[in-house]
Amino acid sequence: MTEKYLAQPDLDFIAQLRELGGETLKKCYQCATCSVACPIAPEDSPFPRKEMIAASWGLKDRLIKNGDIWLCHQCGDCTDLCPRGAAPGDVLSAVRSAAITEYATPKVFANAVNDPKKLPFVIGIPALWFALLAFITTQMGGTMEKIFHAVFGDFLGGRLHWSHSPEVAEGAEKIIAHADFVSTWFVDLTFVPTAIFVTVVFFLGLKNFLNDIHENAVLEGKTDKTTLDYKAFFQALVRIIPTVLKHDKFNECEANKDRATPHMMVLYSFIGLFIVTAVCGIMLYVFKNAGPYPQWNPIKWLANIAGVALVIGSGMMIKSRLDKGKNQLTAYKDWFILGVVFALGLTGMLSEMTRLAKMEYITYFMYYLHLISIFLLFFFLPYSKMAHLVYRLTAMAYAEYGNRK
Amino acid sequence: MNKKYGVYICTGCGIGDVLDMEALVDVPDDEGVNCTTHPFLCSKEGVELIQKDVDDGKVNAMVIGACSRRVNFDVFNFEGCIVERTNLREGVVWPHSRETYPKLEEDQKDDEEHFDPIQMKAEDYIRMGMIRLEKVKLPEPYKTASFSKKILVLGGGVTGMSAALDAAKTGYNVTIVEKQNALGGYAAKLRSQMPVAEPFESLRAPIVNDLIAEIQAMSNIEVKTATEVARIAGQPGEFTVTFKKPGEKIPFDVPFPLPEEMLVDANGKELDAEAQHVKYLEYNEGRKDILQLDPDGELFGAVILAAGWRPAKLAGENYAHLGVDLADVITNDEFEQIAAKGKIVRPSDGKEAKNVVFIQSPGKDEDDADFEYAGSVTSQVALKQARYVRDDYADGKAYVIYQHMRTPGLQEYFYKSMQQEDGVFLTKGAVTEVAKKGDGLMVTATNTLLGENLGIQADLVVVAAGMVPVTKDDPIINLAYRQGPGFRDNDIFGQYADSNYICFPYETQRTGVYAAGAIRRAMTIEESIEDATGAALKAIQCIESANRGMAVHPRSGDMTYPEFFFQRCTQCKRCTVECPFGALDDDEKGTPKANPTRCRRCGTCMGACPERIISFADYTIDSIGSQIKAVKVPSEDDYSEPPFRFIALVCENDAFPALDMVGMNKIDYSPNVRVIPVRCLGSVNTIWIKDALAQGMDGVILIGCKHGDDYQCHFMKGSELAEVRVKKIGDALSSLALEEERVAFAEVAIDEYDKLPGIINAFVKEVEDLGPNPFKGF
Repeated sequence: MTEKYLAQPDLDFIAQLRELGGETLKKCYQCATCSVACPIAPEDSPFPRKEMIAASWGLKDRLIKNGDIWLCHQCGDCTDLCPRGAAPGDVLSAVRSAAITEYATPKVFANAVNDPKKLPFVIGIPALWFALLAFITTQMGGTMEKIFHAVFGDFLGGRLHWSHSPEVAEGAEKIIAHADFVSTWFVDLTFVPTAIFVTVVFFLGLKNFLNDIHENAVLEGKTDKTTLDYKAFFQALVRIIPTVLKHDKFNECEANKDRATPHMMVLYSFIGLFIVTAVCGIMLYVFKNAGPYPQWNPIKWLANIAGVALVIGSGMMIKSRLDKGKNQLTAYKDWFILGVVFALGLTGMLSEMTRLAKMEYITYFMYYLHLISIFLLFFFLPYSKMAHLVYRLTAMAYAEYGNRK
Repeated sequence: MNKKYGVYICTGCGIGDVLDMEALVDVPDDEGVNCTTHPFLCSKEGVELIQKDVDDGKVNAMVIGACSRRVNFDVFNFEGCIVERTNLREGVVWPHSRETYPKLEEDQKDDEEHFDPIQMKAEDYIRMGMIRLEKVKLPEPYKTASFSKKILVLGGGVTGMSAALDAAKTGYNVTIVEKQNALGGYAAKLRSQMPVAEPFESLRAPIVNDLIAEIQAMSNIEVKTATEVARIAGQPGEFTVTFKKPGEKIPFDVPFPLPEEMLVDANGKELDAEAQHVKYLEYNEGRKDILQLDPDGELFGAVILAAGWRPAKLAGENYAHLGVDLADVITNDEFEQIAAKGKIVRPSDGKEAKNVVFIQSPGKDEDDADFEYAGSVTSQVALKQARYVRDDYADGKAYVIYQHMRTPGLQEYFYKSMQQEDGVFLTKGAVTEVAKKGDGLMVTATNTLLGENLGIQADLVVVAAGMVPVTKDDPIINLAYRQGPGFRDNDIFGQYADSNYICFPYETQRTGVYAAGAIRRAMTIEESIEDATGAALKAIQCIESANRGMAVHPRSGDMTYPEFFFQRCTQCKRCTVECPFGALDDDEKGTPKANPTRCRRCGTCMGACPERIISFADYTIDSIGSQIKAVKVPSEDDYSEPPFRFIALVCENDAFPALDMVGMNKIDYSPNVRVIPVRCLGSVNTIWIKDALAQGMDGVILIGCKHGDDYQCHFMKGSELAEVRVKKIGDALSSLALEEERVAFAEVAIDEYDKLPGIINAFVKEVEDLGPNPFKGF
């Protein structure tokens, strides 16, 4: 007989799941239609039946530490077929939100991103910050150049300058550059530490996460491994990359099949934009080419394609959620992240278009909004729904590693 | 009645095509009885033809050779006439086709080699019908000496009050007897009861006070609180009831029959009737005999039994693992009493009980049975009581561990609403242990929805004790019947007051006593209210039927009743003892007294009587015996290889309709079998079997209902008694050098018609292998 499990229902956790979109969690009467219907659940102790009872009992420990909640892609097939009107897909989605909050530190950011009442602060603080940076860049350029000179002197052969403005020949038309609105130094000084912070938060979360899902899998007999071998785990991670890129799991869904394509577009846009950002960084700091690049540049092509794909992909996702209504519940956390991604793409594209249209102040304003969007996405990466990127990848890699069948 | 005979044969529905009508008409003609054929006898013209003969005074006893008596019984209904329906259609031409049994060629007729089994069967049936007309008479209704239409309701709980109200509203006078000092019963002790109206999601205050107020407003309901029934004597329509104060001892307390061990003397020999009576009087000293009516008794027409239930006591080894001895492990009944007083607290220390585990089944073993006498009620009670926990404490947690969650009907909505309550946790599972842990309790369960081995910490544990019908402990109805004051065969009903739960709800084993509510089955308040209506209607039906001299049930409308030819009675008491309904009482000498309105007309007494002195107007030892004798048994004098002959005595309740279905489905079986429907196999007197064999019949088969635990006998004990009697006849047969196999007994359910041809053919084959009856031709 297995070890005795002491059930300790947590009423607050139930309330939390209800808030996060798991409103129907108590409707389940354990017929297990969902587990049969799920196209991606493994045959051995399949989800989401067991997750549903754990949720209705408020067994936080059983859900947060459960790797299976991440294997779910929220197809909605289970929700579609549930005879009791429960929505296991949405409940698991809520559980995932709770898990993200649980593994992220500090919790204050997680609570902020999940609470619509805190939205003014969530947007307001970066808005103020970038406004300040814009003010300094536009109004205090001379002062900054002096400060720069005083600090760095002839360091690196005098190659460090405050301004990244492209050199413009006398009399030639002024080239509009967003760096003249918010200095690239400021942008990088904001986002590089943010990236480090996000990485550290993820690292701390993931370490616990991986141990927890392993422990849970051993306890519930979902793996044939007894110890966690990191090398083998990373090999498994590499093995599943094609599955992720091809959206193989997502494509097995029935009810929400149409979600796979936009999701794929968004994923590839982010990959594209990541490459663009990396190339720009190298160009700037290694080759001193600050841009903006001309439209014939392949990097520009990639950026434009990715940008358009992001707008269309996220736009489709928003539309499908608006259309679905009943079939798929959309909680605040979902709207937040969809809004941020869509805003990010849209403001990015509009910044470029207005820049090319030589609408100087409008393009600066668009860039300002773009920066806020990027910050929201980036900074809240470990706290928002976007964190699924990391947790799902880890859980899928663990399932591959642990031979979850 | 001066009988004027006539035979009418329908040639429709294939009868005329298959049978040689001329030869068939010759059968009554040879007896000098007029025979008329018609191509469509059940048509208006056909019926008018018969009616004209009746009106002209030509006929008042007729054989109608057409379809089964189970159809068109309303069409062939001629007032003041004896009608015998000879089953030529379902019984002869439908099961046996000319493809299987070709018509005889002209040269084959009378060649002493060929014979036509279908024609032979039809001719036998006409003969059998004709002889029955001679032997039976038109029934005349029985009238009681006195008659009351008052209804007595035993029990003043929700069921009793509802039944009283229902009956009173239709105009009957009702008396409610309640042992306690006030009306209300168990429902008066509840905190809340289950919802009774849309949306079935919230509890409501118990309905008791509304009912009491309604009863007080009814002028035709009399309430006797703090009163018990000492005895109910007599029969439906004229029950004489003696009341008393609870616990009081009075001369009209009901006497008990002698226990079996006292019926014999020191040597184990059965005492004679008079000696038994002396002992019986000693045994019941101070109590008047059942036959002595209380001159001060009150007269009632029918009784509604709504005495209810008591909470089961869970103690002993079977429940030790549930910690039933611990102070904080209580029954649902005890929990309800705590809840009714106020907030839910622990009995041990009076502390708030916020974590409550409700255990719905004994668990432990692999068996997933619920607690005894639970029904669906304990599931609903657990949900209700879980509601109390949540109502009393915002952070209260109620766990329900069940094997079955039963919420019939619209109570499903209540289950749904409770399921969606955040602090209510449900799982299937088997509880293996309840033990003390620290200040509280630890409940362990296996095979749960949450995994193999689950532990839950609790402040209080509630076990779902069932609702034990009070008839388990006590006779309750205190009938002054010779068979005893209670229901004799209650063990087959798990001590519930019942007679056949599925087919005949509300009927008990005593005619005129109708059970409702939890004495019949574990029921909720809502179900009891509905049940009360059913029992009230049955009581009214009983009164009205008895008043017209008709059987109530299941032979509704039957006006016959057992008649005794007392000159030949040997006072053997077999009829009194074997009657499944306790209808017969015997006096100190052992002479039976009939009590016709108690009777269900099954004829078990007729089958039991060794002197064959019991008969019904249209159903006698002689009527069936003569039908058997009317069957022609061909011998070697008639044919070189004479066909075998068999008698099938078939129960008319299930086996006979099943045999009709065989006919409707045109399934063949041996045409050498002559079917005689009987009221119940219990009415089969072994003399019929002996006579049949003595006249050369090759075998006799009895086909009736299943008996035993899942019995289907309409008269409970009939088929069981018949099987016992058949076994006994085996000895008699072997003394005649006849094989025991010539008499067979078969059980069949109404939906097993497809098995019947196989059963019959197998019996025929077995007997054919034995060879012909050596008595043939004598």
